[in-house]
Amino acid sequence: MTPLAASRLTLTGIGLLVLLVVATGHGSSAMPPLRVIAALLGEGTRMDEVIVWTLRLPRICLAVLCGMALALAGALLQRVTRNPMAAPSILGVTDGAAFGVVAFLWVFSDAGNSLTVSIHWQPMAAALGAFAFAGIVAVMVRLDPAGKGPLRMILYGVALAALAKAMVTLMMILGPVYRASQALTWITGSVGAAHWSDVMILAAGLLLCVPVLWLMRHDLRQLSLDPESAFSSGLSTGRSQAAFLALSVLLTALAVSQVGAVGFIGLIAPHAARLLHGQFTPGYLASTALIGGALLLGADTLARTVAPPLELPAGALTALVGAPLFLWLLMKGRAVHA
Amino acid sequence: MPDPLAQLRGASACYDANVALNAVDIDLPEGRIIALCGPNGSGKSTALRVMRGLHAPAAGQVEVAGRPISDWTARDLALQIAMLSQSPEAPGELSVSDLVLLGRFAHRGRFGGVSKSDTQARDRALAVTELEALRDRPIGQLSGGQLQRAWIAMTLAQDAPRIFLDEPTNHLDIAHAFEVLDLLRWLNRSEARGIVVVLHDLNMAMRYADHVVLFDKGRIAAQGATREVMTEITIERVFGIRCRLVSIPGQTLPTLVPLPKSERAFDTGQDAAE
Repeated sequence: MTPLAASRLTLTGIGLLVLLVVATGHGSSAMPPLRVIAALLGEGTRMDEVIVWTLRLPRICLAVLCGMALALAGALLQRVTRNPMAAPSILGVTDGAAFGVVAFLWVFSDAGNSLTVSIHWQPMAAALGAFAFAGIVAVMVRLDPAGKGPLRMILYGVALAALAKAMVTLMMILGPVYRASQALTWITGSVGAAHWSDVMILAAGLLLCVPVLWLMRHDLRQLSLDPESAFSSGLSTGRSQAAFLALSVLLTALAVSQVGAVGFIGLIAPHAARLLHGQFTPGYLASTALIGGALLLGADTLARTVAPPLELPAGALTALVGAPLFLWLLMKGRAVHA
Repeated sequence: MPDPLAQLRGASACYDANVALNAVDIDLPEGRIIALCGPNGSGKSTALRVMRGLHAPAAGQVEVAGRPISDWTARDLALQIAMLSQSPEAPGELSVSDLVLLGRFAHRGRFGGVSKSDTQARDRALAVTELEALRDRPIGQLSGGQLQRAWIAMTLAQDAPRIFLDEPTNHLDIAHAFEVLDLLRWLNRSEARGIVVVLHDLNMAMRYADHVVLFDKGRIAAQGATREVMTEITIERVFGIRCRLVSIPGQTLPTLVPLPKSERAFDTGQDAAE
């Protein structure tokens, strides 16, 4: 990595850390950054440490890690589809995952509002839903004679995302009342109730991705060529496309199973990383992940502090930034050269 | 006799229901400049794509560089044959140098970074295509001719002993087209690389190719040494035109001159002049 790229990456990382400290200080009992740092280092008062370590930090870490997972999923999707408008929430993957989770809760809950199976199956259900919807989009694109165009793919994705969202909404409304309280989480996404165990699951998933992505970094760069040129240069295009798609769907499912259908992080973060870092500069994925983490953390912090005691869904805030970006990309119309 | 570069026996290929290549037998010799010519839609590009593994044949045998095409892995085939397709695409923000380095994919391991042989191959490809001054420029800012040269440089950096090119002179003016073909000839003569190139311009084919395969409606009209294939009678039959092969003083090779279907076409201009 060049010194310039390394320093950009370091700056982005520092930005995320600063945001993390500020976000930890924000809340019903506000704490100045120095007190937050003291508590983080174990030098604070007992009260501060409880607030930081038990109440705030799990939620903050969860937001950062889910943001990272969604951002990486978006960067992979954009590269594989060679479409800058692609993102998990736009291709129906995010809402498909949410559908998987809601269907899981529906099927495996008893009347007493408790699950009849372990909650650890939830990410699996999210993955199944995500794969199902991603699969439907892929099949439709393939069956459509004009489906190779970048816009058709987006149209299929948007339509299927709407379908999944509608099914999630219907299941929440038609389901027993006690489930409706969770509705907001699964429809728009929220980091609400976070535990350290959730954080650990996500951290483990992301850590597993790091060596895989590093080993496949040449393949990922090669996919920016059109498929024929990529194949002619020696890439097994079908295999690597499938691998990155699967990885992207898994990352999305992992995030959605924890925080619900937060949209647009996977669209915004890779574009921000292109501007701040460069798509072909080593460290692009790291930059994307850091920005994605900061985005969801920022959105969640705003969501819980803008109108207390009300909590906005973080997904509504990310959509507020993401939807205009999507429209801008659409109008710019240079969709082919991802 | 050495192994042929490619050997097709009864090879057919289709796009959906359209037959593009109809049970053809083709033999391509190693180490030559081979031109694939023919009218639009005659199957020349399809034949090239079939031989490079980009399009699966519907029937027949296809053997390339000594092995059936289906036995090659993408990487091994890339080490043997580089290919420049008709309209390659890459993001406009990619620099010329980075694009050329993408041609090194088949040589790079999963663990290492850019090796010395990678940078050497890249620099050589940039030098040969005279792109050194533009190496850091994003390819989105290149002119048509420069962009085509950048893609050729990427293909060269692959360091394969054989290079396939699908209409590399498309969208190039006559000077740039000659430059590209001169480069191909240099690669063949001084580096002994086998070249197979789809060409529209028959005069270009006659001037640069050692061997020509002439396609007509998905079949082979003629194949062999350039002089034997490119005759007035064959060209008239395949393209449905009238033509003459004219010798120009000082030129060893004849030049193909297409003639209008009716002599009247010449006369109309005269009245206007008077």
